[in-house]
Amino acid sequence: LQIKTTEPALPSAQLTALRSARPLENLKSLAYPEGIQSPNPALNPMANATKFKYDKEFLMQFQNVFTEKPSLDWDQRMKETVGDTESARPSTAR
Amino acid sequence: EDETKEEEGPFEQLTVFHDADNFNVKHPLMNKWTLWFTKPPSGKGGNDWSDLLKEVVTFDSVEEFWGIYNNITKTSELPPKSDYHLFKQGVRPEWEDTQNKNGGKWAYQFKEKRNVQIDELWLHVMLAAIGETLESDDAKEVMGVVVNVRKAFYRIGVWTRTMGKGAGKNEALMEIGKRFKEVLKLKERDMVEFSGHTDSAHSGSTRAKAKYTV
Repeated sequence: LQIKTTEPALPSAQLTALRSARPLENLKSLAYPEGIQSPNPALNPMANATKFKYDKEFLMQFQNVFTEKPSLDWDQRMKETVGDTESARPSTAR
Repeated sequence: EDETKEEEGPFEQLTVFHDADNFNVKHPLMNKWTLWFTKPPSGKGGNDWSDLLKEVVTFDSVEEFWGIYNNITKTSELPPKSDYHLFKQGVRPEWEDTQNKNGGKWAYQFKEKRNVQIDELWLHVMLAAIGETLESDDAKEVMGVVVNVRKAFYRIGVWTRTMGKGAGKNEALMEIGKRFKEVLKLKERDMVEFSGHTDSAHSGSTRAKAKYTV
């Protein structure tokens, strides 16, 4: 079983899931696993809403869960926009 | 009471929390957002603003946001004269954009760079923007958020569609200022300031400045 592929042309399992996932339509019918806090219901009072507001505490729970690069060409895109981050990094010792 | 699950049929909604590699639903955002980056001038020419301002990526789900955030340079690692801008799709992060020409921004400048948790502050401001908690329901004022990295300071701002003139408009604008100040966890005496884009653009002119503080 290959957990991490080194082939840059193959999307990770997580990216594949993201690409085929559909937007959640009904927040109220969704049961999150134990230990995961639902979005604050006060932010989404409309029962038939299909787009949602999310509080910081809910959003922060994703930080260590969705970690994959969001596209296959991400490194290239970074190079063309934000630039070479290694050379941009200031020395930490002063 | 719990009939909804049966109405859903066989489709079981699995989030990234259920299975990080095998989820089938993602969390949609109310708006599509575009992340922009301003490169510092290189000192070699070719430094028009339009050459330095780069569109990085557009997204509309919570999961995509974190994929981007977890794989992009942190603000604290950017050289001076860099900016990140996170704006609603279709709005350029420039006051010249027709959608911004009547607007302004709430901003706060952090002067002691070494004592500022800029990565955490900028993250929290972005989360408030994409989570749509910077303004009350019908305000429709927020255009985007920005962080400026400068030699002597960091500055974080929230751009608004208007300068808050007219009935109800001023309240909406002040509410954004208040919420922004809370997100930044500022002390009561530390004031966030609002200024109109045109006033900033024509600073030095004699016109009255639209300026508020919260």
